[in-house]
Amino acid sequence: MDWNAIWDIVWRLVAITVAFTGVLMIVAYTVLAERRVLAFIQGRLGPNRVGPGGLLQPFADLLKFILKEDIVPDKSTRFVYFLAPVVAIMTALMTMVVYPFGPTVTLPWFGETQLVITRFDVALLYVLGITSVGVYGIALAGWSSNNKYSLMGGLRSSAQLISYELSLGLSLVGVILLSGTLDLYNIVEQQSGWHGMRWNIIRPGGPQIIGFVIYLISAIAETNRVPFDLPEAETELVAGFHTEYSAMKFALFFMAEYVNMLTVSMLATTLFLGGWNVPFAADIFGQGTFLFALVSVVGFLLKLTFFLFLYIWLRGTLPRFRFDQLMSFGWKFLLPVAILNIIITATWAFFWLPK
Amino acid sequence: MIAILFILFAGLAVGCAVAVVAQRNPLYSAISLIGVFISLAALYVMLAAPFIAAVQVIVYAGAIMVLVVFVIMLLNVEEEVRRRLRLRFLIPSAILLAAVLVAQAAFVIYFVHTRDPTPGPQDPATSDVGLTLSIGKGLFTTYLLPFEITSVLLLMAIVGAMTLARRAQLAPDALAVPGSQVLTQSIVDPDAVGDAAPVVAHTTAEAEEILMRNDE
Repeated sequence: MDWNAIWDIVWRLVAITVAFTGVLMIVAYTVLAERRVLAFIQGRLGPNRVGPGGLLQPFADLLKFILKEDIVPDKSTRFVYFLAPVVAIMTALMTMVVYPFGPTVTLPWFGETQLVITRFDVALLYVLGITSVGVYGIALAGWSSNNKYSLMGGLRSSAQLISYELSLGLSLVGVILLSGTLDLYNIVEQQSGWHGMRWNIIRPGGPQIIGFVIYLISAIAETNRVPFDLPEAETELVAGFHTEYSAMKFALFFMAEYVNMLTVSMLATTLFLGGWNVPFAADIFGQGTFLFALVSVVGFLLKLTFFLFLYIWLRGTLPRFRFDQLMSFGWKFLLPVAILNIIITATWAFFWLPK
Repeated sequence: MIAILFILFAGLAVGCAVAVVAQRNPLYSAISLIGVFISLAALYVMLAAPFIAAVQVIVYAGAIMVLVVFVIMLLNVEEEVRRRLRLRFLIPSAILLAAVLVAQAAFVIYFVHTRDPTPGPQDPATSDVGLTLSIGKGLFTTYLLPFEITSVLLLMAIVGAMTLARRAQLAPDALAVPGSQVLTQSIVDPDAVGDAAPVVAHTTAEAEEILMRNDE
C-alpha cells in the first residue's frame, strides 16, 4: 500500500463528502421550492417567514425534526423498525457516486480531473441494483410498524415498485444499445458531438423520445410521487408506510424520497439529455478550460432543476391514480411500449449503426 | 486491503447464512438472506466479476427476495415455535452430509494449493474477463447454445406459471368490471356440489335475483 493509493482513497472520501453535502443542500431547497411553488399554484404564499423570503426554512424544519420526540410503537418489530429508514436513505444516497457532473478539466493541484466521483464498467447496472434494493426500506417500514395502514402502504409500494422497475429498466435498453456501454461517463461523452447537441433524445439515428417518456413516467412511479403516490395516499391510508414514524426517522424517509427524485433526474439527464453537455459551450470557451467546465456543471444543474420543477408541477396539477389503474397502466401500456421501443431501436442499430 | 475486505464480506456472508437458518422469525431469515446475497456480490467484485455482482444484486436481492418478503408480509407468517425433535434418524445423516461437504471443500483447497502454477484470482483493477463486453461476447458466440437453452427453459417456466395461475380462475367470459359479481354454480345451486362454472351478475339486483331463484 503506497502513498498514491492512500491519497486516492482520501481524495475519493473528500469527494463523496462534498457531493453528499451538496446533495443534501439541494434536497433541502427542493423541499422549500416545492412548498413555495405548490403554494403559488394554489394561490397561497407558502413559508416566507424564516429568513429573507423563507430561505432559512429548511434549517428550521431540520431543527424541528431533531428536537421532536421519537415515538416507537409498542408492538412494533424493533430491529426492522430501526433498519427500514436506514435502508431507505442509504440506498438513495449510494447511487450518487456514479453520475458525471462535468467534463474533464485541468484543476490547480489536482491536474487533469474527471468531474465524477468514480467510474466503472457496470455503473448503470449498479444504479439499477441499488434502486431495486431500495424497495426494502418502504416494505419493511410498512411491515414493522404493526399498523394496518402502514402494511397496506408497504404492500402497495412493493407491488408498484416491482411493476414499474421493469418498464424503467427496459426504457434504458435503447440508449444502451446505441451507445454500446454501461459506463455513464462514456455515454455522456458520446453525446457531445454536434456542438454539444447530440443528445440521445434527438440523436439522428434512433432518437430515444419514446424511451425518454417511458423512463420519465416510470421514474415518477418509482419515487412514489404524485400521480403515483398510492403508498402514502393520505385520504385512504393516513400516511401509508411512514404513518408510525416520527422525528428524525420520518425525516430520513422524507429525505430519501427527495434524494431519489434527484437521482432519477440525474439518470434522465445523463442518459437522455446529454448530461453536462451545453450547446456551443465548447465553441465559445474552448474544450478543457475551467470556464467550459463551470458552464457544463451549471448546465447539468439547470437540467436537474427542470426535472425537479416538473415533479413539483405535476404534484400541483394531477390527481392520484386508482390502484388498479396504476397496475394496468404499468403492465398493459408502459411495458409493451418499452418493448416496442427496444425492437425499433435494435432493428435500426442492427442495420445502420456502424459496427 | 483486499484481504481485509474479503474477511469482512466472507464473515458477513457466513454470519448471515447461519442467521437464515437460526432465526425463528421468517422475515428475519429473509433479511439475512438478502445480506448473504449482497455480501456475495461484494465478493464477486473482488474476484474481478462486476457484471455478475450487479446482476446478483438486481435479480436475487432486488427481485426474488422482494417477492419472498412480499409473501411473508401478506401471509403474516408467525414465529416458529420450538417443538420436540421428531425424525431423530435424520441427525446422523445430516452430520454425514456435512462431513462430505467439508471433505469436498478441503479437497478443493488442497488441490488448488498443491498445484504450482495456479492462475489465482484475477486482479480486479486490470482484468477484463468479468466486464460486460467479454461476458456479452462469450454469451452470444462461444456459449450461444447453452444460453438459448436457458432462455427456452425460463420461457417454459413463465408459461407454466401462467397456466397454473389461470387454472384456478373462472371462465374467460367472467367480467371483472367493478360492480359485477361472479358466483360459482355450487353456491347458486346447493345440488351442484363442486361445480365451479361461473354465474355472472352485473348488478346487485341481478345477483339477488339469481340467489332468490335458488331459494325457491
